[in-house]
Amino acid sequence: MVEKKNPIIYILMYIVLAFVIVVSLFPLLWVIMSSFKTNAEILSSPFTLPTAINFQPYLHVLNTNNFAQFGINSFVIATTATFISLFIYSMGAYVIAKYNFPGKSIFFSLFVITMLVPGHTRTQPIFSIVMNLRLYDTRQGLILVYLSGGMAMCMFVLRAAFASIPKEMAEAATIDGAGFFRTFWQMHLPLARSGLATAGILMFLGNWNEYYFAALLTISPRNRTLPYALAFFNEAFAYDYTRMFAALTLAILPGIIIYIFSQEQVRMSVVSSGVKG
Amino acid sequence: MKKLERRNLPWIYLFLLPTILIFALFYCWPIIQVVGTSFTRWNGFSRPAFIGIDNYTRLFNMSSFMVALRNIALWSLIAMTFHVWFGVLVALVFFKQPPGWKIARAAFMVPMVISSAAWAMIYRFIFNNEFGILNNIIRIFNPDFNVNWFFQSPASFWAITFTWLFYAVIISLVVLADLMAIPSEIHEAARIDGAGGWQTLRMIDMPLCRFSIGTSIIMSITSRISMFEAIALTSRGGPGNTTMSLSIILVRGISDRNFGVANATAVVMFVMGIAVLLIINRLFRMNESVY
Repeated sequence: MVEKKNPIIYILMYIVLAFVIVVSLFPLLWVIMSSFKTNAEILSSPFTLPTAINFQPYLHVLNTNNFAQFGINSFVIATTATFISLFIYSMGAYVIAKYNFPGKSIFFSLFVITMLVPGHTRTQPIFSIVMNLRLYDTRQGLILVYLSGGMAMCMFVLRAAFASIPKEMAEAATIDGAGFFRTFWQMHLPLARSGLATAGILMFLGNWNEYYFAALLTISPRNRTLPYALAFFNEAFAYDYTRMFAALTLAILPGIIIYIFSQEQVRMSVVSSGVKG
Repeated sequence: MKKLERRNLPWIYLFLLPTILIFALFYCWPIIQVVGTSFTRWNGFSRPAFIGIDNYTRLFNMSSFMVALRNIALWSLIAMTFHVWFGVLVALVFFKQPPGWKIARAAFMVPMVISSAAWAMIYRFIFNNEFGILNNIIRIFNPDFNVNWFFQSPASFWAITFTWLFYAVIISLVVLADLMAIPSEIHEAARIDGAGGWQTLRMIDMPLCRFSIGTSIIMSITSRISMFEAIALTSRGGPGNTTMSLSIILVRGISDRNFGVANATAVVMFVMGIAVLLIINRLFRMNESVY
């Protein structure tokens, strides 16, 4: 791409790239590194590498402080909400992509325009809905609220996925006598799986990382999710920095692992819908 | 397939129904309720009592609210003048594809895939006065340096700013997609006409990327308006009101069972978001097609 090899431009470009890598990764590496140091080492020599790799703090964090419970809660809530909303939104996106019916464009615009509504402005109504359904401080309540999260993104990604399936395939299925639901379930859904994966990964990351509504709608440790548990770290670990860093590492690692295995999908969906995972 | 088939209509609406229900319950009704009850005194138990614009006048007389508005204005200014352009700069570097750019792109994405709550905690540790890396780096040059970033004014404002200042990967990716969409003939033609790198950038690349840059500005300002975790898990709006934001005021309204005031705050946030959208749309002529 570079026509004239101007060395100064090259040096500047590498300064930018190096800076990007450092600001993005150094904070995380520092956290992970510190989780293998003793309290004294953290305080006296913040830059040095750990002297020994010791997983004791990790085991301690997992065995006490309900940390495993928070992880399980996060996983159960994020997974359930992701699968239910994928099912619901793929049905909606499917009929919008494949059929003509009165009100089609209005519905699609309404679903997509939800992207412009900042989540926080809906705080009180959502709080009241969850209260009135007697779902305050339950995992079901959080799942219900998370269903609404990825609506606009799902509509974008899934409608495009269904629209790209050639109609000959669906017609073949109809001729074979498949009904409306079976055409959707057995023909289109499997063919749209890359779109489903993209939307699903982004939605899972969003649910897994969600803090605001988890903090608003749960109170007991039994139903606490991992991101909200972070807010209690200072009390929970009372200046035991090693364990605090170990717990923080445990909280951030799953998201990073998912990202490593699905870089392409995460990037694509971010570009196509412009939402944060 | 695309023609209207009447016998399918019941199925079609049945498929649409769950999405419509979620839309009605979690978007349509909430917006009506928020706007409606922002003109009432309401604690969630009793019937809302209409009080006109009292909640709004109360907000505008609160010092914390005024500080929050000033903070949002300042943060938006920083986002518009630095944050977005840093993202554009990175996009331009990515576009030249120097060896190693893919590693940088993958790394840049990492802060986006971990929870903003965890990110806030990490920054809280980085800015820690005793063991945080920032102060320890500064102490190499100035051994007497002592700043409790999140607990001192105005340091806390800048500490919060640093939690997002450089993290512009979405902007870089969106602008990069636009840069790659520019037909190579345009760059050819510019070179034949004798345009230098800087001229090409200013006269061709930037105008053709105005849609994605405009979108980026809108996105980054709206996230400043609703910023929550980075504040709630670090300075909690303090010390005093130094880092106050609208979402902190909103959450306080909810926990004080002052739903009218909370919803008035939400309406202010919503109106600000729409205003930013319309203004930037106009400024960047985003409704005109690029090519």
